[in-house]
Amino acid sequence: MTVLNERERPKKPLSPWKPKKTSAQKAVAFPGVKSLNGRWGYLYVAPFVIMFAVFGLAPVIYSVYISFFQWDPLGSSTFTGLRNFNLLLHDSDLWLALRNTFSIWALSTFPQMVMAIGLANILRNTRLRGKSFFRTILLVPNITSVIAITIVFSQLFGRDFGIINLLLEGLGLNHHIDFIEGVIPSHIQIATMITWRWIGYNTLIFLASMLAIPNELYESSSVDGATKWQQFRYVTLPQLKNTITFVLVVGTIGGLQVFAEPQQLAADGGSSKQFLTLTLFLFNQAFVNNKYGYAAAIGIFITFIVLIISAVNFVITRKISNDGTR
Amino acid sequence: MTTITKAKTPRWRKVPKTNYILLSIIVFLSIFPFYWMFVVASNTNAEISKSPPSLIPGGRFLIVAEKVLTAQSVYFSTALLNTFIVGISIAVAQVIFSAIAGFAFAKLDFRGRKGLILFVVGTMMLPSQLGIIPLFMLVKNLRMIDTLYALIVPALITAFGVFWMRQIIDAQIPNELLEAASIDGASVPRIFFRIVLPIVRQSGFVLGLFAFLAAWNDYLWPTIVLQSPKNFTLQVALTQLKPMYGLDYGLQMGGAFLATAPLLILFIFVGRKLVTGVMDGAVKG
Amino acid sequence: MRNKIITKFSARALVASVASIAIVAGVFTTPAKAADPVTIRIWTFGDVIQRNLVAEYKALHPEVTLEIKKSDLDPLNGTNMVTACSAKNGPDVVATEVSYSGYWRSYPKCFQDLRQMKTTGEPSTGIPAGQTASDIQKNYLPWRWQQGVGFDGSVIGIPTDVGGLEVAYRIDLFKKAGLPTDREAVAKLWPTWDAFIATGQKYISKLSAANKKAGVGFIDNAGTIYAAIMNQGTAKYYSNDGTETGKLIYSTNPQVKLAWNTTIKATNAGIGTRIGQYTSDWNIGMNKGTFATILAPAWMMDYIKAQAPDTAGKWDIASIPGGGGNQGGTQLGIPSYAQNKQAAYDFLTWYLAPAQQLKVFKTYGLFPSASVLYNDPALIGYKDPFFNNAPVGKIYAAGVQKLKPIFEGKLQRAIDTAIGAGLGRVAAKKQTADKSWAQVLNDLKKVVNN
Repeated sequence: MTVLNERERPKKPLSPWKPKKTSAQKAVAFPGVKSLNGRWGYLYVAPFVIMFAVFGLAPVIYSVYISFFQWDPLGSSTFTGLRNFNLLLHDSDLWLALRNTFSIWALSTFPQMVMAIGLANILRNTRLRGKSFFRTILLVPNITSVIAITIVFSQLFGRDFGIINLLLEGLGLNHHIDFIEGVIPSHIQIATMITWRWIGYNTLIFLASMLAIPNELYESSSVDGATKWQQFRYVTLPQLKNTITFVLVVGTIGGLQVFAEPQQLAADGGSSKQFLTLTLFLFNQAFVNNKYGYAAAIGIFITFIVLIISAVNFVITRKISNDGTR
Repeated sequence: MTTITKAKTPRWRKVPKTNYILLSIIVFLSIFPFYWMFVVASNTNAEISKSPPSLIPGGRFLIVAEKVLTAQSVYFSTALLNTFIVGISIAVAQVIFSAIAGFAFAKLDFRGRKGLILFVVGTMMLPSQLGIIPLFMLVKNLRMIDTLYALIVPALITAFGVFWMRQIIDAQIPNELLEAASIDGASVPRIFFRIVLPIVRQSGFVLGLFAFLAAWNDYLWPTIVLQSPKNFTLQVALTQLKPMYGLDYGLQMGGAFLATAPLLILFIFVGRKLVTGVMDGAVKG
Repeated sequence: MRNKIITKFSARALVASVASIAIVAGVFTTPAKAADPVTIRIWTFGDVIQRNLVAEYKALHPEVTLEIKKSDLDPLNGTNMVTACSAKNGPDVVATEVSYSGYWRSYPKCFQDLRQMKTTGEPSTGIPAGQTASDIQKNYLPWRWQQGVGFDGSVIGIPTDVGGLEVAYRIDLFKKAGLPTDREAVAKLWPTWDAFIATGQKYISKLSAANKKAGVGFIDNAGTIYAAIMNQGTAKYYSNDGTETGKLIYSTNPQVKLAWNTTIKATNAGIGTRIGQYTSDWNIGMNKGTFATILAPAWMMDYIKAQAPDTAGKWDIASIPGGGGNQGGTQLGIPSYAQNKQAAYDFLTWYLAPAQQLKVFKTYGLFPSASVLYNDPALIGYKDPFFNNAPVGKIYAAGVQKLKPIFEGKLQRAIDTAIGAGLGRVAAKKQTADKSWAQVLNDLKKVVNN
């Protein structure tokens, strides 16, 4: 039924962080339905706002308050003003965590995106047998618990006897890779776990936008004698722009919160903190060192990073949509 | 006639064999960790600790399964039931509340709407670990410690859910449709229940499913607020299997496998729906 | 042998119960409240609370329900206990591992002072009535007992096991390398840590080129030497100045530098395999003979048996260099916000009584902290066939009695972690020893100040 509906409606991949503007509504930034009584809106958002304020917001605000204190949850707490922030900005661990977070983010986002687009490109072929089987299997990794899967992966990635190193040895590499101690190797291990979990999901998203590309575009290009690669490069890829940005944004939100995987590998983030991520850093300061004020300051720093990324995103998206309308 | 078909299908050439091989590799990689869990769970630790390790399942799975099911203070079946209660409550509540709020954010014109939704999106990006201590104090003051409510109530609503439903409703329901209905005299609640809800049913189902999965696999928060075994969820119950020092891989993986099996079974039934849902959400929201 | 134990048991029980009858008789006039159903909630990790003993206690006390919740160690002793105490909430009994005792001794307010509790008395099992923690202190190893004492002198935990540390070694591999294999002779190889390292180098020099390339080593992980040496001293990172946290001495305590330097020396001598303990690589290495020695706490013997059953009889146990060792162990305490303190205390004193500790040792290999057992033939005479019939009871008992009390401070675990990471960096050849130590000091400054 939904399939039929889809056919009738004009399809257009859209960027999710920005309200979609149809041509008629372009003038109004954030349109509502005029003839509906807007005041119902207060009633309708009330349950959400109240619950969110109590269980989502209040704890976070309390944390902001805590960040101005040297806060011992079991003992006395003293107001220290901006001391936590000052210390934090001079803490090399923070910058290390930032580096690691971005490295893991990049390693888990970009190869995954390329693979997902490639896979989607294979899956869209209508003559592919077992289409729906392949699509479904792709989502299976998404349902597992991170903890169980980390144990599996750390066995596979073992330095001396792990299957991956044994395979590499079989391929002629005679130096075993330490997927814990090495900086990049450890990031690769974590990125692999993330990729394994999310690649199917992203493939489906790309597949959906590919299926939404109007056939006419391909027809005219094949009339022009374009090769398969040219079609992909000049027809498919430009149409995926918005989806690519969507996947990037979701990946960034997830990437900034990478926590369970590194924590399960080594709770302190490795001997040279080579896979200490921002969120793990926050967690350890709060729950291992019991420095809640300091941890709260880290949380605020993360928020700052998010704001910067959002700004960058905004600029890029603008540019892309301008390109698109040209 | 022939020219039309020719024009329409030239790019769907026969699927190259390499593509099938590639897909088979992906399928293998997707499944392998589950298979490995089973291999570890069904072999003795010693067999797993050989090099190269045994790659075929052993005969010990039933023994391990029995150990898991009868282990001291694990109460696997109770935990399974608890996890279902929590997961379904959260899923249903999130879908309903998110749809209501998402509808208002997408289609109702009230003051402060824009600022509010931007704010919600902003808070989505904060690490949830930040608020755990205050949240614990809150939950304790509400006398919900060691009850399933402690898991359900704070999760009834998520910023993500509202945002997602807003996007879906915004994209799937043309304003003209609602305009027409309201001109016909339908009230806002009627429009919501009669028009909006049926259209976003599919997407709501996917949101619910993801909420269910998240609740199923949640670990940190349940282990803090749940205290007595009769209230454990599966992930908390599984930690009961850990030996004092080190790891009993077999037992651990046996537990993990048994805890994942219901999801795999569920997946057989809803997998396709999930696929359509994810793809739907991608195009429209 | 088994009969002997039983007679020993019953004799002890008889004496104790005769003694307690008198006391019980005194209490008898008050109405017996024992029949009221009560639930004791226990937070623990791993198998600190043994299922056999739980069943036994339930038989003794049908009115008591034991609700056991296990968590992983760090979430339990770190997150959960902090959250519970700060929210004035908590179970009735909680298990604290020794790596966290330094932290919790700074917060005795989170625990019931067990000196103020009195046993109800358990005639059938020999627990007299009216016993406070001070009364039973004499049963336990003195330095081990101190790990459950708060900075203000209150008793916040009673020890379960003691993780006596000795050297487990592979007879077959020693033989191949031309080393002696008899445990007395092996112990003589390494009266000191330097001698231990020299032995390791000798072992390495005998290895074939292929083995060397495959990463075979003498000890599983040279980094484990650090903790062993630290526990042989009298102070770690803090000295007792009567304050809540203690005074930091990590940069001046010679023991820290000694432990660090010796570990670095062992690492640079290349005697370790660098395999991390409790990884799957470690388990496999144990089977393959990738390493010939492990610094093994008493509780690790069971782990080795389970992971590498095929190596039965190939192992033996020799005394640790430097004399005496410890690693691990747990205390049971009662949080100050517990709801059933009396029932909890009765359970605790029964569970940790020498008789029960002996049962745990026999069935599970956890070495008792109840030092009154160290003369008990049931313990001293215990030999383990898996370890070539080594008199493990005797060896470990001798080892743990050589140790002295160590003052532990609040941030000890964080400091341990930072130093461990520093050793790891040297082992992974990421930094020189000097640079790594400089970073440790830098990291510690943050741990202490921020």
